[in-house]
Amino acid sequence: MRPGLRWLSLVAAFSLAAATRVTAQEPATVSGTIRTESGAPISEASVVIQELGLSATTRQDGKYAILVPGGRVQGQQVTILARAINYKPRTAQVTLVAGILTQDLSLAENPLQLGEIVVTGAGTATEVEKLGTVRSVVTAEEITRTNETNIVQALAGQAANVQVTSTSGEPGAGSYITIRGSRTVGIQGSGSAQPLFVVDGVPIDNSSLSTEDFNPTDGLTLGAVEGSASSNRASDLNPDDIESIEILKGAAAAAIYGSRAGQGVVLITTKKGKPGPTRWTLSSTAAANDLNRTYPLQQSWAQGIGGMAPDSADLGGGDCTPGRFECRTSWGPRIQAGTPVYDHANEAYRTGFHTTNTATVSGGNDRTLFYLSGSFDLDKGIFEGPNNEYRRTTVRFNGSHRLADNFKLGGNFAYTDANGRFVQRGNNTSGLQLDLLRSPPNWNNRPYIDPATGLQRTFRHPNPAAGDINGNPGWDNPFYTLNNFINTQRVGRAFGNVSADWDALSWLKFAYTLGADYANDERLDGGPGDASPPINGGRIVEGKAVTYQIDHNLTGTARYRISPKVAGTITLGQNLNERTYRSLANVGRGLIAPKPFKLSNTIARDPAIDDESTVRQSSVFSQVTLDLFNQLYLNGALRNDGSSTYDKDHRRAWFPKAGAAWEFTRATGSGSLITYGKLRAAYGEAGQEPDPYLTSNIYTGGLVGGQSQGTGVNVGPFGGLVSSIVKGADQLKPERTKEWEVGFDVGLFKDKADISFTNYRSKSVDVILLTPLPPSSGYQLQANNQASFRGFGQEVTLNIRPITKRDFSWDVGLQWARNRSRVLTLGGADFVKLDPNDIEPPAVAQVGEEVGVFRGQGLTRCGISNGSVILDGQSLASWCAGAKRGALYLDADGFPVADPDDRIIGNPNPRWTGSVRTTVRYRKLTLSGLLDIKHGGQMYNGTRAALLAYGTHKDTRVRADCYTYEFTGNVLDCTGNEHSFGKDGPINGPVVGAGVDPATGVGRPVPIGENWYTGVGGLFAGTDQQWIEDAGFVKLREISLSYRLDSPGIQRALGFIVDLRVSARNLKTWTKYTGYDPETNLGQAQSATRGKDYFNQPQARSYVFSVTLSR
Amino acid sequence: MSSTYRFLLATPLVAAALIGCEGFLGADQAVNDPNNPSTATAEQLFLGAQVGQFAQQEGLLAMFACVWTQQCTGTSNFLQSIEEYNTVNEDLHSAPWSAAYEGGGLTDLNVVERALSPGVRRGIVRIYKVLNVATTADAWGNIPYREATDPAQFPNPHLDPQMQVYADLQQLLDDALADLNSGTGAGPWGADLVFGGDAAPWIKVAHSLKARLYLHTAEVNGTADYTSARDQALLGISDASGAGDWVAVHGANPGEDNLWFQFSARSGFGQFLVAGRSLADLMVSRNDPRLPEYFGPATPGPGYGGQDPFGGRSPAGFSELTGTRNSATFRQPILTWEETQLILAETEFRLNGAAAAQPFVDAVRAAVGLGAKTVVSLNDVMEEKYVALFQNFEAWNDYKRTCYPPIVPAAGTFDNLVPGRVYYGNGEENANPNIPSKTQQLIDGGVGFRNPNDPNHC
Repeated sequence: MRPGLRWLSLVAAFSLAAATRVTAQEPATVSGTIRTESGAPISEASVVIQELGLSATTRQDGKYAILVPGGRVQGQQVTILARAINYKPRTAQVTLVAGILTQDLSLAENPLQLGEIVVTGAGTATEVEKLGTVRSVVTAEEITRTNETNIVQALAGQAANVQVTSTSGEPGAGSYITIRGSRTVGIQGSGSAQPLFVVDGVPIDNSSLSTEDFNPTDGLTLGAVEGSASSNRASDLNPDDIESIEILKGAAAAAIYGSRAGQGVVLITTKKGKPGPTRWTLSSTAAANDLNRTYPLQQSWAQGIGGMAPDSADLGGGDCTPGRFECRTSWGPRIQAGTPVYDHANEAYRTGFHTTNTATVSGGNDRTLFYLSGSFDLDKGIFEGPNNEYRRTTVRFNGSHRLADNFKLGGNFAYTDANGRFVQRGNNTSGLQLDLLRSPPNWNNRPYIDPATGLQRTFRHPNPAAGDINGNPGWDNPFYTLNNFINTQRVGRAFGNVSADWDALSWLKFAYTLGADYANDERLDGGPGDASPPINGGRIVEGKAVTYQIDHNLTGTARYRISPKVAGTITLGQNLNERTYRSLANVGRGLIAPKPFKLSNTIARDPAIDDESTVRQSSVFSQVTLDLFNQLYLNGALRNDGSSTYDKDHRRAWFPKAGAAWEFTRATGSGSLITYGKLRAAYGEAGQEPDPYLTSNIYTGGLVGGQSQGTGVNVGPFGGLVSSIVKGADQLKPERTKEWEVGFDVGLFKDKADISFTNYRSKSVDVILLTPLPPSSGYQLQANNQASFRGFGQEVTLNIRPITKRDFSWDVGLQWARNRSRVLTLGGADFVKLDPNDIEPPAVAQVGEEVGVFRGQGLTRCGISNGSVILDGQSLASWCAGAKRGALYLDADGFPVADPDDRIIGNPNPRWTGSVRTTVRYRKLTLSGLLDIKHGGQMYNGTRAALLAYGTHKDTRVRADCYTYEFTGNVLDCTGNEHSFGKDGPINGPVVGAGVDPATGVGRPVPIGENWYTGVGGLFAGTDQQWIEDAGFVKLREISLSYRLDSPGIQRALGFIVDLRVSARNLKTWTKYTGYDPETNLGQAQSATRGKDYFNQPQARSYVFSVTLSR
Repeated sequence: MSSTYRFLLATPLVAAALIGCEGFLGADQAVNDPNNPSTATAEQLFLGAQVGQFAQQEGLLAMFACVWTQQCTGTSNFLQSIEEYNTVNEDLHSAPWSAAYEGGGLTDLNVVERALSPGVRRGIVRIYKVLNVATTADAWGNIPYREATDPAQFPNPHLDPQMQVYADLQQLLDDALADLNSGTGAGPWGADLVFGGDAAPWIKVAHSLKARLYLHTAEVNGTADYTSARDQALLGISDASGAGDWVAVHGANPGEDNLWFQFSARSGFGQFLVAGRSLADLMVSRNDPRLPEYFGPATPGPGYGGQDPFGGRSPAGFSELTGTRNSATFRQPILTWEETQLILAETEFRLNGAAAAQPFVDAVRAAVGLGAKTVVSLNDVMEEKYVALFQNFEAWNDYKRTCYPPIVPAAGTFDNLVPGRVYYGNGEENANPNIPSKTQQLIDGGVGFRNPNDPNHC
């Protein structure tokens, strides 16, 4: 039997089985091929006999067949409608008689997607041309091509003003997403400046939890900046299951989601089965990953201080011990030729390996549809050792059944099992990069276990005493960190929904969705006894968090048509939502036996973390659309939201939106230049709800006092309670973003090109933040609605399709966007930290500045620092007389001095972002590339600052001789490597002050070496501003070459078609940033602060090969 | 189909029922924090405040005092910042400032004081309150006091003059003594972690504290305050065994233990705070029996030694702060018999000369196993106090008044002088418009960055 006939009979069998009324009359089969205008077959096109409600989907060769039961074949005229994504729909009339009828159709391309249905949220949908807001859609193909495991990371560079930052290249590490910048302040570090994620109509959790959040004693709630990496929960979605993603930018588009939509909404639609023969795909991807940049380290100078090695007689001789601070740094003698040096920048890495295997089966008939998929990801990262991998298994079943012609039941179910093993990172004495990059070049980190004692060797404690299993190593050996710690995350996640669609009347339908999202997230951090403090002695952090969300959404939509020129819809809806969170965790200290890493194997335990919360929401909404003269489309919506997080007098709030789209080419007619044109304008208001319980006044048995992280006394064990530092909010209502957006979409040169332009302007009022209170009032913080922010920006998209031949096509897509924000008021405070647990210099909101700028200490400069401060006998103002603003003050020694007053020192927000995408297809070969551009936006490079102070950074390779280690005053006695500030110093530009040489007008020459880098020129006694760097980049995100084997010969021989793809991800980055990668963030996906690098893990680049078999 | 219709009809009805019920949004678990208590008794708050005060007395302020009087030396990271008098960037001054006022500090102590009726218990609470506020005034000078912790009436408290604050505290100690002497509420009180509600030792502590605070105003007020200090000290802690000392209470479990121990054992920075050469060399020269209590053996040794801020070391190298008192349950002294004796020694020296001071110095030396030493100068008295008040915040107050020990300042930051105060907390500066900028504080602080009670720099 020929394959064609084989599947035809399969369809017939299905249809017969499903048909409810089988008669003896002869059936008809309508079949044919759907092609493009240039003759290429179109797969996945849907073909419908509209009068009968029967449908089919085309195969890869464009063929379809619809079997009409004999009882319905009455020689009547029927309309065949064919539609496919990216093509304009087309109809044909057919007279239905028994037997085989052939109807081929060719479809014109539809690059502007006119007529396609767009989901707009909360059960509403509309056609593309009727949207009053800009549309940003990401297709399945674009997602698949990224080869990213994490759906959020797959959105990087895909849409204008959608900014994605990954934490690092570590498998399973979280990614953070903002749309049109931050319009809010993440309360309590909950990362709430990210958009709401909705899958198939049901909101899902995209939070990020650090295991260190379970350990407030050591972390002082610094969770996100230390410990190990943590995933963002949207990464539990299998990207291969996604059909499309609609990004609702801004309040005008997202207002239908009310108080959860202030940061925009990401609407994800998963794949569904399609009527026709059963299809399956098997896809296998293998990727090799490696470190994308080597850290610049010096290899010329040995461990020590003042030019002396720790074992020199002047320093007392003998082995290094953690207390000997001279062992920490690499300010020792020059490494003599012939002495071995070690390449710490490269020694801890391997080639990572990532495989993804996915299988899907889908199909159905006009009554029943199903889609079943399973995937397994195994991602072994680029760090040596067993603790750098992420395994994710997903299964999904999407099904629907039409119980009656007007009633459909559906169910989606997905389960994900995500297991990660991570490495300690960041601001952390066990952090991999901290341990690795501080290693002196003359120190060999291997073997990392002392063969004699079995304990770890570190450069600060190379010879541990036998039996000292709880010894203090100073910092950990990086290989010990990689191999002997355990940091795991095990997530079981079940989510999905049941739905019902009832077309009650021809003009009235109801849609109901009941969805749930449940995740159980188990964490274990285990550190051995001879790890560095605070783990020292052995420490287990073990806990679990359960999140559960249930969402009920009911809509009724009525369609009305007053005249052929006046029509529209009215939707009424209701939504109930409950989110609960529960965590139970404990920290055990002092391992009884070296293994296992279990709480039960510890001597003592911190007070348990036992935390729960419930948020409830109850809303009703309505949307009205009005289509006038088939060219002017108006819509308006109103949502009334109630949330339990507000105070009891402000529990409900209204969120309106309105939009208009005018397809002006309907009035003017299409010209040869402008073939399609639309003007649009929209206004909307969306909100941001706070964390729960901010209105409660509470007491805690928690930690007070402390001398540094890891210290403090718990009052609970003494039977005590203390007032919370957060005063309960007196009043708390929703934060509200009001946004206007206007723009146009134009198709040019017979759709060979299209341009979209959007201008938006938003104002966020009643912004909820934890306002600082004067501690002398008894409290530090109180949530209120006192701030307001302004936002504005532009987005431009240009797509060009110069060649659209059947065998050769080329298209180019350009995106450009910019976003600006400005803090208008803060309600009294000078500034507010975005995350109360941020490291210095904190990211803040400050009046007149962009949201998220860094506030910290700079150097004393004219016109910037307070002029009345007395320096070297006279006021700064008098030193600065006649000098340029910003001139650097130099003290009598010729060095700059710190300014005691904090100021705004940097801005992590980019000036603009953009991307260039191109695809060239020749016959079956497709080449595509994506260039991701971020212009401007600064990073605090604390890693560099620290490595300068420790003398391992490459910039310290040329250094003054500070050999004598005799102090005169507080300055090392150094000679050589002399530089003048203002001319060829570490800092240049105009200078003033006692240190300026009158003869040259620049600073007196000063030696630059240990003296400078361990002082103002390095991290620990330094200022913050020097470490602010431009973190703009141009990144070759992806480049891929694919080939499709689908000739009839191959299909005959194999029974399926084969797609082959080779690609590279993050192959090349062009940047001025001196750290590993400008795409990183210390606070991971957890914190609303951006642009911090303090011993962050590096990024990886990957080379990918994939094979997909399908039929 | 009828069942389907019923289902569809039922759904909106169920939904309507839920929305109509205010209980859905206003449910207790959705509105009130289920994780933390919303009420606390006076006793619970007092227990919390005592722990808060132990933590404050052992916390960063004590570390500043230890480093700045060169009992200790910070060698790296933020300890190097303290060493170099650069606390601004590290935000180090902010945490103890906040701790003085927030939960576990003044706000809770005020609540407890108001909740208790006149009597012994209120007297005890008032002593803690004086300790807390006095320490704050010692470090920051002019501070919010009369308007503090009353956000409804004073959202932005004003700074009270430091000398007025001390006067208020002397009055409050008098009130505390009246409470303690009233006899009301005497008897065991489990909530008093130190003396179990016994009025007698608290009465002595109150007098010793009055004596200490008279010394803090004596640089301005002169002889009168020295006289008052002596008179109060004579009524102060008199038990040489230490049983009457005011000392912190700790448990062995992590998070209940002594903060200095926590710091050395768990913070990861412990080894960066080592013995100060000034104190270590002095104690070695005195062959002081407290050496193994305070310090671990020096590296490379043998014996004990310390490091100076400029990298110089004792002949034996330097010791870490790992002496026998560095234990989880060590009860850190807050106010002791030794201090009371040495207040007497100093005041007697100033009022009546060396011979009058001699017995008190001898008593303290004898108690630790040292022989008598003839008192010739005030420095001889202050030397005893400098050694005795290791890791105690009062050592810095003594330095500011007496300029003992004769140390070389570690950095040029504050006119090449040991700082006499610290900046107000950043949170306070941010939120309270009554707080001057750091530059203005620097100008107001004068030479050496000092407080009003300290008119003469060293």
